[in-house]
Amino acid sequence: MKDIRLERDVQTETNKIEARKVQVYYGTNHALKDVDVDILDKTVTAFIGPSGCGKSTFLRCLNRMNDTVASARVEGMITLEGENIYDPRVDPVQLRAKIGMVFQKPNPFPKSIYDNVAYGPKIHGLTRNKAELDEVVEACLRKAALWNEVKDRLQSPGTGLSGGQQQRLCIARAIATSPEVLLMDEPCSALDPIATAQVEELIDELRSQFSVVIVTHSMQQAARVSQRTAFFHLGYLVEYGETGAIFTNPKDPRTESYITGRIG
Amino acid sequence: MTTDRHIASAFDRDLEGVQALVLKMAGLVEAALADAATALETRDEAMAERVREGDTAIDALEEQVNTECIRLIAIRAPTAGDLRTVLTVMKIAGSLERCGDYAKNLAKRSIVLAQMHTIEGAAGSIRRMARQVSLLLKDALDAFISRDVDLAQAVRQQDRDIDQMYSALFREFLTHMMEDPRNITACMHLHFIAKNIERVGDHATTIAEQVIYLATGDLPRDPRPKSESVTMGNV
Repeated sequence: MKDIRLERDVQTETNKIEARKVQVYYGTNHALKDVDVDILDKTVTAFIGPSGCGKSTFLRCLNRMNDTVASARVEGMITLEGENIYDPRVDPVQLRAKIGMVFQKPNPFPKSIYDNVAYGPKIHGLTRNKAELDEVVEACLRKAALWNEVKDRLQSPGTGLSGGQQQRLCIARAIATSPEVLLMDEPCSALDPIATAQVEELIDELRSQFSVVIVTHSMQQAARVSQRTAFFHLGYLVEYGETGAIFTNPKDPRTESYITGRIG
Repeated sequence: MTTDRHIASAFDRDLEGVQALVLKMAGLVEAALADAATALETRDEAMAERVREGDTAIDALEEQVNTECIRLIAIRAPTAGDLRTVLTVMKIAGSLERCGDYAKNLAKRSIVLAQMHTIEGAAGSIRRMARQVSLLLKDALDAFISRDVDLAQAVRQQDRDIDQMYSALFREFLTHMMEDPRNITACMHLHFIAKNIERVGDHATTIAEQVIYLATGDLPRDPRPKSESVTMGNV
């Protein structure tokens, strides 16, 4: 099937992240089995699947968030532009600046709106002076479609914003370090439909600059925002393909059962 | 495609509802075709009139199918096989509505023909052709009910027989017209009737192809066998 939405854009056929034979164990629990996937550059990839299927686990492998879980063990190969991200020489903190993350619940730092966005560029030394930092903060808040709402109260606490605004603040914070990939773990599940639509619109705009990988429980959201969809089930990557094809003619009966709302 | 039940049972009821409507439509269309052909052969004007009036019910059903499908799309956001089912139901309803119109047209012309002198053998041939095409339509609908790709393929192949019947009738009518110009009016009516029945066969093919799309996600790519059609040189 032709992917109209991909063709609209310049180039997308290069792989940003390649994962091969990825296994994850939590203690003795084999949570993720033999996952092979190529995440395309400048593309939104959605991970869908029932709870406990491994989609969040896999997302967390992509920026080594599983390092923080003591019982977790990751095997296999994940490369970012050809470089193994599990290489001992890779600093996970630097990696996470390149592969940003937005979580299910908005979690702004208990700091001002300005400092929330400025934090990343500051600790990674990405700006030389206050004027540059101001520019980055404004640019990121604009990209996150939040600037107009907060420009007059940048020093107010980020926690004082509404849920949707907080989530967009977290997205602004995540893109402030100029990441190459943005991981989003159910970024809209705590938002109302308007805020959800705003975040989805934002995701679509962000993909002109980098890859977005989004985990979502909303099939319709996956269909709306992504160009590639991966369906996980019981720790396996069951099917991965162009979103339109997955939602009109999935090849695997398990995918069909899940996306049509049947008992799989 | 899967046939498991949805977790939301109302979704199943909605899908079954629109499919039941299409089957009801198909029943009416098959009956209309058979009755119209019988009315032609037996010169039963009352029966022909009933077929004409009956078309309103077929049209109303098509509208109901469309309304229900639109509602289902808006409310249930069907995907994959469910989405293909809804689209197929709408397309089949569209085809059946056209077939209903052809039956109505046959009935109308049979009322006119009842006033003219008989073209020998024509009404019987038309009735046989109508029955054949009804069977084809029935097979296409059976293929839809059971998502039977093989049966749908068979329907695609058999449309050639209908085309051949049409070509044969066309030549027959031509002969009658050349023999005696007073036959021209009746033969023109009969020719339109034959052409319309042939069109019903095309709709049966369309339905069969839609069933293949429904079951496999792809329309058939292989070319359908076509018999040598009426060549312009014969005219």
